[in-house]
Amino acid sequence: MVEKKEIEHLGDLVKVELKDPEKYIKQVEQIIHYFDRLDTVEFNSDDTLRREVDAENLRDDKYEPYGMSLIDHLNKDQNNFIRAPKMV
Amino acid sequence: MTRIGLEIHCQLTKLESKLFCSCKAEYRNLEPNSNICPVCAGLPGSLPMLNKKAVEKAAMISLALGCKIPEKIGFFRKNYFYPDLPKNFQITQYNAYGPTSIGSDGKITIEGKEIRIRRIQLEEDPGRLVYEGKSMLTLVDYNRAGTPLVEIVTEPDFETPKQVRVFLNVLADLVENIGVSDPYLEGAMRVDGNISEGQGNRVEIKNVGSFRDIEKALHFEITRQQSLLERSILVIAETRHWDDARRITVSARSKEEEEDYRYLPEADIPIVLIRNESIESIKKHMPESIVAKRERYISQYGIPAQVADVLSSDRFYSDLFENSYNEKNAKEIANIITTDLMGFADTREKKLELKITAKHLTELADSIVNNKLTRNSGKLALHEMMKTGKSLTDVISSLDLGHVSDVGSIEKIIDEVFKEEEKAVAETRQNPDTINYLVGKVMRKTKGKADPATTLDILKKKLSS
Amino acid sequence: MNLGISATEFVSQAKEGAISVEEFIAKTLERIKQVEDKVHAFITVDSQNALAKAKDIDKKIRSKEKIGSCFGMPVSIKDNICAAGLKTTCASKMLENFVAPYDATVISRLKNEDAIIIGKVNLDEFAMGSTTEFSYFGTSRNPWNPQYVPGGSSGGSGVSVSALECVASLGSDTGGSVRSPASFCSVVGLKPTYGLISRYGLVSYANSIEQIGPMARTVEDVAFLLNIISGHDSHDNTTINNPQVDYLKDLKSGISGKKIGIISQMIGEGIDKEVASATNMAISKLQDLGAECIPISLDAVEHSVAAYYTIASAEASSNLSRYDNLRYGFNFGTEGYEFKAYVAKARSNFGPEVTRRMLLGAYVLSAGYYGKYYLKAQKVRAMIKAQLDEAFKKVDFLISPTMPILPFKIGEKIDDPLKLYLTDINTVTANLSGIPAISVPFAISSSGLPIGIQLFANSFEENKLLQAAYVLQETTDLPEVPL
Repeated sequence: MVEKKEIEHLGDLVKVELKDPEKYIKQVEQIIHYFDRLDTVEFNSDDTLRREVDAENLRDDKYEPYGMSLIDHLNKDQNNFIRAPKMV
Repeated sequence: MTRIGLEIHCQLTKLESKLFCSCKAEYRNLEPNSNICPVCAGLPGSLPMLNKKAVEKAAMISLALGCKIPEKIGFFRKNYFYPDLPKNFQITQYNAYGPTSIGSDGKITIEGKEIRIRRIQLEEDPGRLVYEGKSMLTLVDYNRAGTPLVEIVTEPDFETPKQVRVFLNVLADLVENIGVSDPYLEGAMRVDGNISEGQGNRVEIKNVGSFRDIEKALHFEITRQQSLLERSILVIAETRHWDDARRITVSARSKEEEEDYRYLPEADIPIVLIRNESIESIKKHMPESIVAKRERYISQYGIPAQVADVLSSDRFYSDLFENSYNEKNAKEIANIITTDLMGFADTREKKLELKITAKHLTELADSIVNNKLTRNSGKLALHEMMKTGKSLTDVISSLDLGHVSDVGSIEKIIDEVFKEEEKAVAETRQNPDTINYLVGKVMRKTKGKADPATTLDILKKKLSS
Repeated sequence: MNLGISATEFVSQAKEGAISVEEFIAKTLERIKQVEDKVHAFITVDSQNALAKAKDIDKKIRSKEKIGSCFGMPVSIKDNICAAGLKTTCASKMLENFVAPYDATVISRLKNEDAIIIGKVNLDEFAMGSTTEFSYFGTSRNPWNPQYVPGGSSGGSGVSVSALECVASLGSDTGGSVRSPASFCSVVGLKPTYGLISRYGLVSYANSIEQIGPMARTVEDVAFLLNIISGHDSHDNTTINNPQVDYLKDLKSGISGKKIGIISQMIGEGIDKEVASATNMAISKLQDLGAECIPISLDAVEHSVAAYYTIASAEASSNLSRYDNLRYGFNFGTEGYEFKAYVAKARSNFGPEVTRRMLLGAYVLSAGYYGKYYLKAQKVRAMIKAQLDEAFKKVDFLISPTMPILPFKIGEKIDDPLKLYLTDINTVTANLSGIPAISVPFAISSSGLPIGIQLFANSFEENKLLQAAYVLQETTDLPEVPL
């Protein structure tokens, strides 16, 4: 069962203030209940289908400056810092 | 019993580019946010491109710490919100769903104590936060974001803060020695600890600035926990921060408030296959380990164990040694480096100022071994060469350090001494044990340049004639 | 001037000078003005640049300079693909002011071939949805009947191609988001093999399964676009370094002697009657042309929707974390807020479907649940792939209706998310397994709504898949869009 407290906890994990948590409770519960069928599947393999790449084909360690001043495209202060709210 | 485990973050400072993009790995002393691109700034649509060499360097650390490297490594996302994380998740490695981090199950023996390494993981460094005075606003600089970092997690095998300090020093030497990191750069090596007393709960200590502070923080924490246990008060499982100003640890959050990081495989980076050949080739190209080097110094050149210890663990001086020794002078060079040079230049800055080269050292040691220079004169010459970088020949002539070993010159000086010291000569003839007084006189007259053995020979001959 | 010509027709006419590119672009912009009120495909129309570029190309054509293979063909781009200098909103309030500073790889490849980016088109917010009703900028409407949904999430792409507001479009397909609007709007839409097309510049929603896909009026056009945008990219670790294929070369090879598997799980229960009979018609026409059709059972398909939404929600909850409104975003100052409260407040501006999926994603990934949901869903993927591998030992292609139902009325399913999720039953299999799938317009229902047929092939067999799709296309003679 999904309860209001749990929905709010999930909202806190993904940092979304839920204006109307009640609205989500029933929907999330219904969908999770549908997901529960995954728990009944019998598998004969532990494979999870991840793609693979040979280490030799990874990016070479080479410094190449980005072609533009990216910070000019972002929200910044006069000293080119990004401003965040206070932490405490 | 005290049990201490460590989590050490070590930047791979020897790389050119960041872990997932081509921005510069060296972020220090740059204008704020001048070393960023869509990838490390976490712009929508950007994708991480794993740095091949970072994988190699992390593998080197793993090998050096005796860890197993799996055939396949994978990356995970650690999800939490913090302004220094441009994506609000960190790309790291995680072992819960099969061992997929670059190293695991290693060990290293230090002063007879075995420390097990649980895991080594390759991950990205977050950006840097600056707090603005009055308003307490947070300013963010992403120049560091995405810098390659290796996290080394030990088992709780340490029993004292001193063991921790010794381990960290060895580790710093090790990462420097294998050429993956410069541990003396600011922020290049950071350490968190976890500690439990007896059957008590485990406490994490974070936010420790330096190696010296971790020792202090651990000492404080042991005392705190012991005094709680003595009063039968439960030690709470929590994370505590080291308060540098007050020299104490302060509670940051309890275990129940711990973040749920919702680890998830990073699908933008496929599983990376590490072939056996690659590991073999890394092994082959890896610099000799400090332990192996120490053994070689002792067994091949007869260098005393204590000298070999000191010499092998300092990359700068052992490199100097490697470039200057030959079979005859090895012991002498080891001596010169560990007794004279190291005492003089013991910090990174002083090392960099040294003007002395391997060639200087070879010539100096050869001259001493071949009796062309006394140890005493050698020391004077060494100091001059360190400061000026002049050649040995120049230094000898400018300081007048030439060794006097020709019999004629020494005889002449002894004759002078005999005239001036008739009483002492007579006494020595009676009692040969007092001969050192006369040797000393000869030395003073030659400013220490006379060869002691030759001097003694001639003195004895003259006294008995 | 006929705005309804195909990409290949456009290219040959522009090349010969039979049409002026500037005039075509001007007429296209006029058409957009005319029909946007009814269908609402676009979020941004880049009129000025499009016209300037068209003039430039005309000049080059006259002076016989070297020109890229698109000759100024107008293409619309789903607004979750970055094009430098244009807004990339993802149909979200969170990115309503975000101007991408860089081109996605597919965009730079199109620009290199002198395609004209005519504008950015609508989608469900961050591509989460299958109707385009979840756009912050309002729903797109089906050109075949504006009371009906155009499908989604690449609804704007489907609508703009169908309503003759462009010649072709790029969408993205995470669980059917190219094929659903292709089917509902009666255009061709391809979900390529995972790793065939670079995702660099595609705003991630569920990055382990999604691909950019071309949408156009004909199978040839899709092959033509695929030639341009596919291939290895040094900005995307997941692209495969296969030799380049010319998808147009053997397009008309026919289907004689090929075997087609009819997926039992996708044509049985719950399927609309008219959709079922259209599918049967398609099968019999392919048989007439020499294909052998046999039933194939893929029982893992039963779990595909649950697996898909588990994986997609989990990845979405992580991929969308970066939208904290600090580096870019909408206008909302940080003064007076503590970090976490600020971020939670800013992020309360996500729409309901995105919020729902992030909550679901947090749930299935949270401590203790990973093994029960996420890991199981990953294993279902492998199971589906294994069953497909078996099937492709027996057959060359698989066939199903693209959507189990006809387009439905706007608002009809918006309050029942699970019901809406279940309509993805036929499309998610290709995403979970990585194989390519294409939707080909096949019929118009008695109510005047399009029905698309879906064909699948094995990984990186797009050339074969396009050949089969071409055969199917050639069996049809569909009416023009009544708009």
